[in-house]
Amino acid sequence: MTDRSAAPAGTVAATGRVVRIPLSYPTPRAWWACFGVSLCLLLTFFVSCAVLFRYGVGVWGNNIPVNWGLAIANYIFFLGIGHAGTLISALLLLLQAHWRNALNRFAEAMTLVAVVCAGLYPILHLGRPWLFYWMAPYPNTMALWPQFKSPLTWDFFAVLTYLTVSVLFWYIGIVPDLASVRDRARRRRAQVLYGLGALGWRGSARHWARWRQAYVLTAALAVPLVVSVHSEISLLFAAGPIPGWNSTVFPPYFVAGAAFSGFAVVSMIAVVLRSALGLEAVVTPRHLDLLGKLFLATGLMTAYGYFAEAFDVLYSGAHQEMATLGDRVSGGYAWSYWGAVLANFVPLQLLWWRAARRHPLALFLVGLSATAGMWLERYMLLVTALYRDYLVSSWGIYHASFWEWALFAGMLGVFLTPFLLFVRFLPVISAFEVREAAFEERREERHA
Amino acid sequence: MTPHGPLADMVRARLRGRTGRRFWRGVEELAETAAFDAFLRAEFPALALPKTAIDRRSLLKVMAASFALAGLTGCEVEPDEAALPYVRSPEFVVPGEPKWYATSVTLAGFARPVLGKTHVGRPVKLEGNPDHPATRGATDAFMQAALLDLYDPARSQSPRLDGRPVAWSAVDAALADRRAALDRSGGEGLRLLTGATSSPTLAGQMVALAARWPAARWHVHEPLDDDAGRAAIARVFGRPLEPHLVLEDADVVVCLDADPLGTGPRQPVHARRWSERRAAMRGGDGHSRLFVAEPTPTITGAIAEDRLPVAPQRIGVLVHALARALGVPADGAPTLTAHERQWLESATAALESRPGRALAVVGAAQPSWVHALSLLVNERLGSFGATLRFSEPVLALPPEPTHGLPALAADMHAGRVETLVILDANPLYAAPPDFALAEAMRRVPFRLHAGLHRDETAAACSWHLPLPHELELWSDARAVDGTAGIIQPLVRPFYPVRSQHEVIAGLLGGGESGQHLVRDRWRHDLGGEFDERWIEALRRGFVAGSAPAAVVPTVADRSGDIGAADDRGGLSVAIRPDSTVWDGRFAGNAWLQELPKPLTKVTWGNVILVAPALAAERSLRNGDEVRLDVDGRSVTGAAWILPGQDAQTVTVTLGYGRRQPDGVADGLGYDAYALARDDGIGFRGGAALAVTGARHEIACTQHHQAMDGYDFVRTVASSDLHAADGERPEARGEPPSLYPAHVPDSPSWGMSIDLDACIGCNACVVACVAENNVPVVGKPLVAQGREMHWLRIDRYYEGDPAAPTSYFQPVPCMHCEQAPCEMGCPVNAAVHSRDGLNLQVYNRCIGTRTCSSYCPYKVRRFNWFDYTGGDPEPVRAMRNPDVTVRARGVMEKCTYCIQRISRARIAAKLEDRAIRDGEVVTACQAACPTRAIVFGDVTDPATRVSREKARPRSYSLLEEANTRPRTTYLARIETGRGRGGGGAR
Repeated sequence: MTDRSAAPAGTVAATGRVVRIPLSYPTPRAWWACFGVSLCLLLTFFVSCAVLFRYGVGVWGNNIPVNWGLAIANYIFFLGIGHAGTLISALLLLLQAHWRNALNRFAEAMTLVAVVCAGLYPILHLGRPWLFYWMAPYPNTMALWPQFKSPLTWDFFAVLTYLTVSVLFWYIGIVPDLASVRDRARRRRAQVLYGLGALGWRGSARHWARWRQAYVLTAALAVPLVVSVHSEISLLFAAGPIPGWNSTVFPPYFVAGAAFSGFAVVSMIAVVLRSALGLEAVVTPRHLDLLGKLFLATGLMTAYGYFAEAFDVLYSGAHQEMATLGDRVSGGYAWSYWGAVLANFVPLQLLWWRAARRHPLALFLVGLSATAGMWLERYMLLVTALYRDYLVSSWGIYHASFWEWALFAGMLGVFLTPFLLFVRFLPVISAFEVREAAFEERREERHA
Repeated sequence: MTPHGPLADMVRARLRGRTGRRFWRGVEELAETAAFDAFLRAEFPALALPKTAIDRRSLLKVMAASFALAGLTGCEVEPDEAALPYVRSPEFVVPGEPKWYATSVTLAGFARPVLGKTHVGRPVKLEGNPDHPATRGATDAFMQAALLDLYDPARSQSPRLDGRPVAWSAVDAALADRRAALDRSGGEGLRLLTGATSSPTLAGQMVALAARWPAARWHVHEPLDDDAGRAAIARVFGRPLEPHLVLEDADVVVCLDADPLGTGPRQPVHARRWSERRAAMRGGDGHSRLFVAEPTPTITGAIAEDRLPVAPQRIGVLVHALARALGVPADGAPTLTAHERQWLESATAALESRPGRALAVVGAAQPSWVHALSLLVNERLGSFGATLRFSEPVLALPPEPTHGLPALAADMHAGRVETLVILDANPLYAAPPDFALAEAMRRVPFRLHAGLHRDETAAACSWHLPLPHELELWSDARAVDGTAGIIQPLVRPFYPVRSQHEVIAGLLGGGESGQHLVRDRWRHDLGGEFDERWIEALRRGFVAGSAPAAVVPTVADRSGDIGAADDRGGLSVAIRPDSTVWDGRFAGNAWLQELPKPLTKVTWGNVILVAPALAAERSLRNGDEVRLDVDGRSVTGAAWILPGQDAQTVTVTLGYGRRQPDGVADGLGYDAYALARDDGIGFRGGAALAVTGARHEIACTQHHQAMDGYDFVRTVASSDLHAADGERPEARGEPPSLYPAHVPDSPSWGMSIDLDACIGCNACVVACVAENNVPVVGKPLVAQGREMHWLRIDRYYEGDPAAPTSYFQPVPCMHCEQAPCEMGCPVNAAVHSRDGLNLQVYNRCIGTRTCSSYCPYKVRRFNWFDYTGGDPEPVRAMRNPDVTVRARGVMEKCTYCIQRISRARIAAKLEDRAIRDGEVVTACQAACPTRAIVFGDVTDPATRVSREKARPRSYSLLEEANTRPRTTYLARIETGRGRGGGGAR
């Protein structure tokens, strides 16, 4: 294994480079360009929210059969891509797969911002968004609790829990690296700020022991969440008696899809960051290869979900379900179904080849295609079931309005702005873990 | 652009008087011109916000302004006292307790008796008068919507001279001048034009007027009149008579281009009578068979047993053939197509099988000779005095034979008219262009128009006087059976207005009040004990026994002439009343504009109806603009494919294409009067259809029409009906469940809708809108699928699109026992009540819309915008105070009229008794002219609703969804056919 022997040699220097990035960013001009774009998008977000709040959710294109639209599709989409971070970090940490160290930090950061985006959508799509907190069980003069049978109530808890655990996990993980940055910082303000973030980390053995306990414990909390959160989100659809939604295959199907879309986004970010920040030595082709394998595996699981869903319908032979399947493959929104199938699974087949997995551009393009495909899938699942449900008389067509698309563009600003700040000001890769892994491997070699 | 000329002036005008900083994007925006608006729409279509939200709001602002201005123009109303709360409440006025008054609203001269519900002096709802001998409580959509006209902001609010408001004193002075001139000339040159009227008071005033000014003439113009039928009766019987269809006794009815159950002044009466026949048939007493031959589908055709799509010219041929088949002497031998012969043979056989209980009806669009021949057919069938009765005329008509608009127009053109008084008629819009009335008007020196609106005719007259709405005036009118009703005000007039009677009295020099005039008129008729009988008449809403006596006429003319058919090639055009705006008089009523037309489900506009075959031939899609040319005249409108339309006939409907802006109907549809002719016949041949290539947006509420193999509407064959009636269907108990069985409280509410009785007339829909403060959203939002109706009527087709079977299905909330919406709501806004209602708690709703996503029936409606918050005071006055007005962002839906349930419960508790069966009547149930809807306690097997639900025909919509609806349906009965009906499925 050439990578294995090659990696440690360069990694020590490379990890130093990682923690130096926040203090002297290598490509400031490119960063500012990206940041400028994302600030414009963020502005779009605020404008479209202002219009939404001023006039009401009627500025969107929703109507009575399709009273959920882009907002809920995007909610599921963003929450889905947020799953890869936790999956890579927590699950692989518990499985002691050390290669994850090159990827986990930015994957976790991506998770955080994606969950924030996801969490905003259900609030924005409310008719009366200022009352969103009524979904929370808090003591109130009305003596009313949320309605616990509703999947939306579960959503509320699921997203909140997931956000909390993700923040904790990410923050616990970054503490030692913040200390490294603090120690290298020369300016007073940077020293103070990073110092505050580092929580007085001195790297003592006791610190490391406590840290390890906390980190593994949080990981153990996070792993079931990966499965439970998106299972729960799927119930938003599956619990409704609507043909095309009411299916028991949805929870695993959604979890696989979430992980798949997450890996797609992580692959893209990994490829971009390693070239933009010159981290080829840390995020090696071997990492890309492993990422590609996971990507392929979750993609195939998702494909199985598609198959199982269609099989389920055909096997049941239920008239309404068959009609919905027919609408999906040949109805008004057939483009979203076939778009999802093609974008998700056709380019994915490239990843059977090792060369494609190790090739950054190929991996990036496959990731891009799958991201678009998974977005189409969310849209398709939502709209094709609603626009033609039971009664033929109430069928209707839905087109997202300008302000829905504006909010979507704005939400990309909400996603990119904090992520770019993270890239600029925080260690994007877990330097100490990379170093630790390198050390471990070197020791193994010595013993060998 | 730089601010030049008018734009700069506008900018300056807008900036004047402003203080502080104001930012603007461009001078055009600052000027807020239509040009800027158009530019914004063209360049950034998405930025332009949904127009209705704005439009409606500005409309409401106009409403507020107009009501404020009413105070300024209200010269003759006594000055408003400062509004102060009651120190001592007036006797008998209990806030929250409604008072009911019996009165009538009219359509085409006929009274439709109503009970008006008022809350602290403001009318909020009209119900049918259950005691009235003709309607017996039946209503129609127009009657229900009359309430909105009362509060209409576009109503005329003051007298005007050449468009400028003037005081009534100026009117009086002008009328005094005319009076002096007319007294000198004996009334030479004075013409009065009214709509059709049955008012004894008005007729009496006309007699008085004719006595004083013998040379004066009274003309009547009713755009959709049955002139041809009346002429035929006059010819056949030698005298004018009013026909009455006794549908409750007619086992077999053959309609030839006739729509007796369709929209019109007789709809409530006919629908009620037909439903009684239908109910008797279901009970095993006789038949209820309906054969319809018509060019364009009507609701009568939709429920017919055998319907023949046929060109309008062929109706005369069919009547001719029918007459010959029955042995009525008629010249010539008509040739029929195979389809026509087949239809006619079965119709003839059915008619002959029920002598004395059969009836043939010909529609108003057909020429007089067809009507005359159909009278002879009915005579042969033994219908006279049985299913077709006659009485003295109900409508008051001028004595002269030439009393119509043609004679008036000719005189106007000839310069023989010096003083023209138009009372409550709009001939400049609602008349064939043949008369060239606009030009004729210019030859009349003194033109006075009195009307509810400043319409096209008002614009052509120098004087315009505002009339009161029928809910704020004293008058009288006869119902279609001739029973006279006193029209009494439910509320004092909002504006300084004078009724028709007062205007005529003013012309004659008297200043009597309307009440005085009407009382005086009836003082003679009611005779001794006048006060008691007068109060009794007001209390009941009609004068009992005032209907003209039945007449058994003898046929005077048996000639049975056959008219010439219009045999020109090409397409035929049928000109028909619109099913929601009638002849155009309801075009300003937003409730009726938003009401889906029964068969097309189109709202806010009219369309040009074409047959599927014709559409396929010309590659037309719904909404393609087409131009229809007939005899050198044309209309341009959107094509709409209507299954069941005759392949060679194109139908246009009246009432749209208004030329006088009123804020509601502006820019909607085309004006089909352009194709009408002065002969009054509603069809003609030789038409050509051309596609222009443009597209129109049509706001339709139901895009898919086929049932796609589902059984949403179930039917049973009439032969199976009596066989199945005795036995209960196999136990349709609760399906298995993991949860313990729910034992409902008593009472526990439920509804049963009989699809065999429903004719899709829409009365229930408008009743629901009026009762439950349902907002109007406007055309763009309806087109987007955001209509707010709590109750909709689904219309399905089955079979060949050229001649399909049509079905209507009213769909309110099902109030499911296992309601998915209740499970979906995260904040307990959708909950179940102990008495079985599925409730929506508006102030708890945060608008997740999960309930609607999960609702298999899609009966929930969402407040996408703030539809109500901007409503000014007068619109609030119209609202039902018992029903919450919903805010932006909340879901709403049918409540089973929970406010009525509460009222009944409170009444029962006060009297310490249970709620009686039939005590709670929902708004839709009360409005239904065919009594298709039954509501009550489903836990008590003795209630009517329980008995309905126990029928074998009873079924639940989407039983497979296992929602256990409380609203259930009774399968429609079809003669000789039927698909898996009810429990027998």
